[in-house]
Order: sequence, then C-alpha cells, then structure tokens
Amino acid sequence: MSEFKSGFFIGGESTNGRVLIVDDEPDIRKVVRMTLQKAGYDVLEAENGEKAIETINTGENRLLLDVIICDIRMPKVNGIEAIAYFRQNYPRVPLIVLTGFPDTDMATSLLRQGVVDYLVKPVEGEKLKASVARAMEQRELAHL
Amino acid sequence: MTTILPIISHPRSECQGIEPAPAPPPMRVVIIGAGRGGTALLDVLHQIGTIEIVGIFDQNSSAPGLKRAQELNVPIYDRVADLLKSQGLHLVMDVTGDPSMESVLREQLPTGADLVSGQASRLLWTLVQHESTWQTELLHAEKLAGIGSFAAGIAHDMNNPLQLILGLAENLADEVDLDTVHAQARDIIDAVKRTTAICRDLTSYSRRTSLRQDCLVVVNGKLDEALKIARYAVALQDIDIRKLYQPDVVVKGNQDELLHVFVNLITNAVQAMEHRGTLTLETSAMAGTTLVRVSDTGCGIPRELQSLIFEPFFTTKPPGKGTGLGLYNIRNVIHRMNGSIGVDSHIGRGSTFTLTFHDESGAGESITPS
Repeated sequence: MSEFKSGFFIGGESTNGRVLIVDDEPDIRKVVRMTLQKAGYDVLEAENGEKAIETINTGENRLLLDVIICDIRMPKVNGIEAIAYFRQNYPRVPLIVLTGFPDTDMATSLLRQGVVDYLVKPVEGEKLKASVARAMEQRELAHL
Repeated sequence: MTTILPIISHPRSECQGIEPAPAPPPMRVVIIGAGRGGTALLDVLHQIGTIEIVGIFDQNSSAPGLKRAQELNVPIYDRVADLLKSQGLHLVMDVTGDPSMESVLREQLPTGADLVSGQASRLLWTLVQHESTWQTELLHAEKLAGIGSFAAGIAHDMNNPLQLILGLAENLADEVDLDTVHAQARDIIDAVKRTTAICRDLTSYSRRTSLRQDCLVVVNGKLDEALKIARYAVALQDIDIRKLYQPDVVVKGNQDELLHVFVNLITNAVQAMEHRGTLTLETSAMAGTTLVRVSDTGCGIPRELQSLIFEPFFTTKPPGKGTGLGLYNIRNVIHRMNGSIGVDSHIGRGSTFTLTFHDESGAGESITPS
C-alpha cells in the first residue's frame, strides 16, 4: 500500500483517509462505503452536489477531507457543477468520477480539469480502492 | 389557461408563413363499398381538409367501414341511388371489387361527377395501403431514432444496480455473518428485478406499432407510462412535475402510438426547460371533448416558427439531436384519432401543447371505474 498514507486520527481510531462519496443512489453510497471502510477509510456520504458542497464546508471537513468520489447525473447541483465548485474552492482535494454513463468527451474534459480518475459503474472493489489510493498519493503530494 | 393558437385540424390548412390564398371549395366524394378498401379510404380522405366525404354505401350493413363512418360522422346510405342524388358530387369511388357495380354506377352517375372503379380502384387501394405502411414505418423510424438518445438514461439505470450487485457479491465472498449474507442476497435479487424492468419497458416501447389496434386508452395511465420512458431520454430529477388529472379519462386510439406521442411531448418540454422547471400534465373530459395538455416553463417557441413546427424535417435542435419528425408524426397520429393539436407558446415563459379529441363513439369521455 502507498507510503504516502496520511493516517490521521478520528475519535481515537487511525484511518487511511477521509473520503466523500456523492451519489443520488443510496445503494451506490452503501456499497462504496462498505468497500472503502473495509480498506480502512473513513467515509462520508452526500446525496447530491448541493449536499456535497455543504459537507465539505462543514467543520473539520474543510481540512480533513482527502478524496471526493462524485457521480455526474444527480438532482439539484449535478456532478459537473459540483466538480467545478470543488476544483475552484478546494483544488488540493483529488476528485474521482464514478458514473453510470461512459462518455468519452465528458471523461476527457473532466480529466483535463484535473479529475484523477473517470470510473464507469460497475467498478470492482479492487479498482476503486486502487483509484482512491492513487488519489491519496496526489493528496499527499499536494501537501508537500 | 390562455387561448390555444393555432389549432391545427387539417394538414393542408396550416399557415405557411405567407398570406394564404382563398381555399378552393372541397372536392365532394362518395365511397361505394365499406370493406377493407372503403375503411382505409375513409381514414385517409378524412384527414384531408380539401375533401368532403358526402357519404358511404355498402350492401352489407355490418361492413367494417360503416362503423368507421359512424365514428367519423360520415353519413351512411342504405341505397346507392339516394347517395348518388347528393348535390354537387365530384367523384364516386367504387371500392366494392364487384364487377357488376361499375355498370350500375355508370347508369346513375350524376352529371359532372367522375367514377373511379375497376383497375383504377385497385391502384387506389394499393396507394392507400402504401401510404398507411409508409406512415407507420416513418413513425417507427423516428421512434427508433429517439431511442438512441436513451443511452445515457439506460446506462444510468442499468449500471447503478449492477454496481450494487457487484459490490454486494464481492462482499459476500468473505462475509461470515449469516444475517448479512441473507440481507445482501435479497438486495441482489431486488437489483436484478429492477434491471429487468428497464429491459421490459424499453422492449415494449420500441416494438413496432400494430396497425389498426384501436381501443379505449386510459390517458392518465398512459401519461404516467410516458413519464417513465421519457426519463431515459431526459433528466427529470430537477423537474417539478404537476399532474392535474381528471380521473378515468379515456380516448379511442392506438395505445402504442399514443404512448409515443406523450413521450415525445414530454421529452420536448423537458428539453425546452433545459432540465429545470415545471412540467404540467393535464387531462380533462367534458361535454364530449377530451383535452390533454403538456405544458413547460421553458424557452418558448418564437411566433414565426409556431406554424412550422409540425412540418416534416423542421427542427430547431442541433444536427444529430432531432429528426424533425417528432411533431409531424404526432400530428399525423392525432389526426388519425380524429383529434387536433395546438400550441400556445410565449418566449421565456414556456409552451403548452393541447390535444383535443371530440366524442366519436367512445373517444373523448370519462369512464366509471369498474
């Protein structure tokens, strides 16, 4: 596993990092949480872009959020709008897109905007964990 | 609700954007024979504004065309002689297929009227069949072209349950708690059921429309079904949907075609709102008239384009995004149902499409639930 792990403490427990999953489908949030928690991550959830922006602006999340995993097609503030907000206001927080729709043009555009990975559902747990680990490395590098 | 302008009731009477020439008097036509040929003729001629069907005759009082004539308010005659005495006839169309009828008709043919019979009649029948097939094919082609735009919605609705299934299956591989195993197995089964429902909806929608399968269609249910299909084409998450349904409204028509009409109108409405706004679906039936309204709070249609939107191949969408056949096909379907379609639109405020069906033997009424 990565040597750049931040390993901060929450409630006395060490975690590999704090990840926010933004998806309007509770089922998706549930399985991503399950996979990442098993891998030692602290997982937060938001059901749309608006809630995600609220979450990142709340308390210690401003500083301690390590990675955001974001869907595209969501109500209220959609993924594209939310990603634009995160890139502008939290440029050091790496973003992973996890979407149901493979769209090459959108993927290219988002990767150009600095998104770490563009994953298309269904994605295997190992691949998701590898992607989050890569994002964590980027997060660590951003702190150097 | 504001006045509906313009009401388009006949394909050839639509405004072309220039001062219309005075309409010529309609061609007065009678139909002899109410079998398959007579029925098809009725359906085609009825849609043409410059043709007036004066009446129809058939020796067989249970011929299918007579029932259709009744629905279309075309007078039915018991005797050929009475029908041929009608004033100012231009054309007598013999579609009986009976060689002896031609001579009978020639004897009684009024002055100034022409007779179409024999081989000419057969040619006419072939053309009518061809026209009908062509319109059905066009509708189907446009429907299939539209399904191309469903890709994003289908991918979203298929891949989300697949993600759940994959995630749960991976977890089950090393899960030891039996209760969790049972619960997650049930979740997987539910997710599979949701996925198969998507396939079922789309297979049903994309099937070829069967000819002449008219029945009483429950309009509110059909609108709800259309919403389910339309969400594959357009994102409805940020659309406020208002349903102003009068209970138990029915119209007579082909239910597959009507579903296609509703899907198209809803899709257009959502696209006009750029996926944010209010979509209102309204149904009402009163005094023999049924109204179905689909309204949006979108960009609206410029007044100068409102008379063109029902023309074939007219589209304001960018290349590759629209066939330009959507509203043209809708108008054809509604005309076949003996209804009319009108649009009321204001720039920046939105558009309302109104379908009007008049009570003709069951169409345009409210039913009591059984």
